[in-house]
Amino acid sequence: MNVRETEIQLFHLTKRFGDFIAVNNVNIEIHHGEFFSLLGPSGCGKTTTLRMIAGLEEPSDGQIFLAGEDVTYKPAYLRNVNTVFQDYALFPHMTVEENIYFPLKMKKINRSRAQPMIEEALTLVNMTGFGKRLPQKLSGGQRQRIALARSLVNRPRALLLDEPLGALDFKLRIAMQKVLKDIQKNVDITFIYVTHDQTEAITMSDRICVMREGIIHQIATPDEIYNSPASPFVASFIGDMNFLDGQVIDQQGDTIITNVEGYQITSSRLMGTFSVGDSVVTCVRPEKICLVKVCGNEFMNKFENHFQSSIHRIVFRGNDYEITLIFGQSEIRLIESASDFNDKKIGEQLFIGFRKEDVTTYLKECKKVCDYETNLN
Amino acid sequence: MKPTSTDNLKPKWRGFSSTHSKIRIGVPIIAWLFLLIIIPICIMLVTSFYVKVGSVVIKKISLANYLEFFRNSIYLPIFFRTLLLALMVSLTSILLGYPLAYLVSRKVKRFRNQLYMLVIVPLWVSYLVRIVAWRTILGRVGVLNTILLSIKIIDKPLSIFIYSPFAVYVALIYIALPFVFISIFNSLEKIPENLLDASSDLGANSINTFRYVILPLSMPGVISGFTLAFVIALGDYIIPQQLGGLNGMMFGNLIVTQFGYAYNWPLGAALGFIMFTVAVIILLISQKFGSSEGFLE
Repeated sequence: MNVRETEIQLFHLTKRFGDFIAVNNVNIEIHHGEFFSLLGPSGCGKTTTLRMIAGLEEPSDGQIFLAGEDVTYKPAYLRNVNTVFQDYALFPHMTVEENIYFPLKMKKINRSRAQPMIEEALTLVNMTGFGKRLPQKLSGGQRQRIALARSLVNRPRALLLDEPLGALDFKLRIAMQKVLKDIQKNVDITFIYVTHDQTEAITMSDRICVMREGIIHQIATPDEIYNSPASPFVASFIGDMNFLDGQVIDQQGDTIITNVEGYQITSSRLMGTFSVGDSVVTCVRPEKICLVKVCGNEFMNKFENHFQSSIHRIVFRGNDYEITLIFGQSEIRLIESASDFNDKKIGEQLFIGFRKEDVTTYLKECKKVCDYETNLN
Repeated sequence: MKPTSTDNLKPKWRGFSSTHSKIRIGVPIIAWLFLLIIIPICIMLVTSFYVKVGSVVIKKISLANYLEFFRNSIYLPIFFRTLLLALMVSLTSILLGYPLAYLVSRKVKRFRNQLYMLVIVPLWVSYLVRIVAWRTILGRVGVLNTILLSIKIIDKPLSIFIYSPFAVYVALIYIALPFVFISIFNSLEKIPENLLDASSDLGANSINTFRYVILPLSMPGVISGFTLAFVIALGDYIIPQQLGGLNGMMFGNLIVTQFGYAYNWPLGAALGFIMFTVAVIILLISQKFGSSEGFLE
């Protein structure tokens, strides 16, 4: 990624509601023109963070910089950022045009001068001809686009989107994701996008910030987030993951060997420093596991980790199968495409293999926190 | 897949679709309306066309009572004075009630419910008791005079407070204010918080947010509050009787006189019907302007 000027900087940003810490010491730097996502389960503080950037919530601590200027205590109406709200927040007593004119009117731009800008905004979201309608005569997706046009007409420095697609159905959401991405390319405005949908974040973002309980777990590109999650929480929240408990039995440089259920698993993606005897969590993504009937030399050379196992459960998922195998006392899941499936049966003895680079290892303490979280949900 | 479900968000009331259930629900409502409202009004309308000669009511259709209303110089001035007073009462109630409702609804966080109850509490007290209370406030030896005397603003009690149109005006506002307050308060409460967030986010300071978002969206409440206050003030005859004196007489008192003292029911009915028509016109006008209620449903 090329180096670009910093648009928004959050510096030790904290928000407390009574005893509850919604956002805890958050530091983020967002570049100009970036599509930046705040991702996390509900209550993780992502919306509060966004509202603080917008100026709708006052931070308890820390600072917010917008294009180098400290805007921490500047009221929302003086900040050059606009928000697209989850439930659109269109003014019901104004037509579409009047809604889009509103931010221009606040800048004292008269109606005749504003008209071309309104038209341009409507064209941008592909809604020309809808100007005279009232918001309640529009469908959800159309309202969303008008909200977008209204937020963009002023050309803000950054556009803040608070789960903008949350209220739309699946098909529409996919379509709107493309619309959003295209618009962002067209206008060259920084987008900060709040979502709890990991797929949405991964497909749309330049960078993702994963949050939980007000704390940032990882800020990275979608690729990095997916392939080297910084904590078991990130690993479990994004994509599918096998978690296996084990103990370190040997360490050689950047590779450790772990004893899991009596099997020895080699891992070279280490999150932390380990010594022999440590309790660890070993993670491997289901789609990284290869399943074969015969364990040849080639297979053994390619995959450092290879075991014999039997099929416990098969779930057909349309274009692929999720196969669960018995792995000592626990289970291991993998994904097999429909074309490779080849009529496998429950109870069948097979070989699984995965490379050491695809095995991520964390210290056990992290995993406990993660389990606790899953139980809460 | 066709985009059907999101385009049509209106719920369909399946429960009321069959004719049978329509009749079961509709008939009692219509019977009730007829018995308690429509039939009495029709009787009043018919009676207003009769004429009383001496002590006998002649059941013959004539416009005599309505002509009397226009010809006799008593009725029209009092009629217009009543309209003017009702207008002033409702406008003042809104000017007083709106800021109050706005403060309680938007600005106060603690004791919000208690404040709301404080405004509503007078409605629990009997209407007559409250009017008598105003007599003790505005009377010659009343609270107001006593206070003014004790702080030496006046040297002898003033009698201008009671038995004047002013007294009627004040008491009517007092009676109408809780209704105006409730109506405006409810419409302010209905405005979603995120519209105010959006307004501020899009560059509107608090004055502009009030002017362009809060005020227009609370207009239905203002209009229904206005209508309520107007109709309350228009028809009241107890307050003018108790506090109005000779100059404070209102149209309601004229109607009461015809029914209760002159025993001229046909004329009373005609005057009553004129007032009823005014109230209906006000309601229709307010409904036309108040139709924006639907925005926030």
